[in-house]
Amino acid sequence: MSSIRKRKSKRQSARLGALPLTSMIDVVFLLLIFFLVTANFAQDEHKLPATVQTEGGGVQSSDLQPQIVQIRMQGGAPIFVIGEVATGDGASLESVLNNLPKEPGIAIKSEPDVPISAIAAALQAARNAGFDKRSYVPSDGE
Amino acid sequence: MIDVDLTSMIDVVFQLIIFFMFTSQFGELRRTEIDLPHQPGDQIEARQEPAMIIDLTNSGTYLVESIETSLTEIERLARVGVLAQSTQDPFDVLIRPDRNASAVHLDRLLLRLSNTGVLRWKLATVNPGGGQ
Repeated sequence: MSSIRKRKSKRQSARLGALPLTSMIDVVFLLLIFFLVTANFAQDEHKLPATVQTEGGGVQSSDLQPQIVQIRMQGGAPIFVIGEVATGDGASLESVLNNLPKEPGIAIKSEPDVPISAIAAALQAARNAGFDKRSYVPSDGE
Repeated sequence: MIDVDLTSMIDVVFQLIIFFMFTSQFGELRRTEIDLPHQPGDQIEARQEPAMIIDLTNSGTYLVESIETSLTEIERLARVGVLAQSTQDPFDVLIRPDRNASAVHLDRLLLRLSNTGVLRWKLATVNPGGGQ
């Protein structure tokens, strides 16, 4: 009886040993590397298009003068001034811009010490408010 | 029946796929890690990669292809790009600024670019929620 069992187990192990595990591991590893390579771990970047408007030139979209958003620093934080209205964040600026005509476009100016995040917030607010013509007016530092 | 060994072929094919995927991603990896402004950006974006990518660090250093570059050199590069542009392939500038960098650095850069005829630019942002 015991010799028959031994023969059976030998046959089973011989069958298991015949499995091409090396090739399977090869393929499994390759699949693993493939999915690691195709996975995107970096944060997705987005873009805010704008034009440059300078004193002497730049993009002139129409005869209409664009409305100007001035970004200033007040008490260590940026504020957005449009006409006589001043707001402290992009969302409030957006609601102000929503009420303005879109055809003349919008120009954004900033003081030299304003952080670029505030300029991005103003451009985003203008974009969200529906302004297709968005320009930035760089200061020449004078 | 001829016994075809597919395993080796799949091995080689996968190796080739991985090789080409790696090499095509090097352009993305070359970008410097910068704390970009947190804004959702424009939802309708062109799939085309910009012709020139300028990184602007918090200290006001300009980097092109991760190499510190002077404004004079950037102006020269932009001039070459503007001369080579066509209506199908316009010269497209992407500025990747540190969100805490001062506006004065962006102003200096844009003034130099506008001197060369670059009038359209894009500001790189990241979605605050981290989503698409």
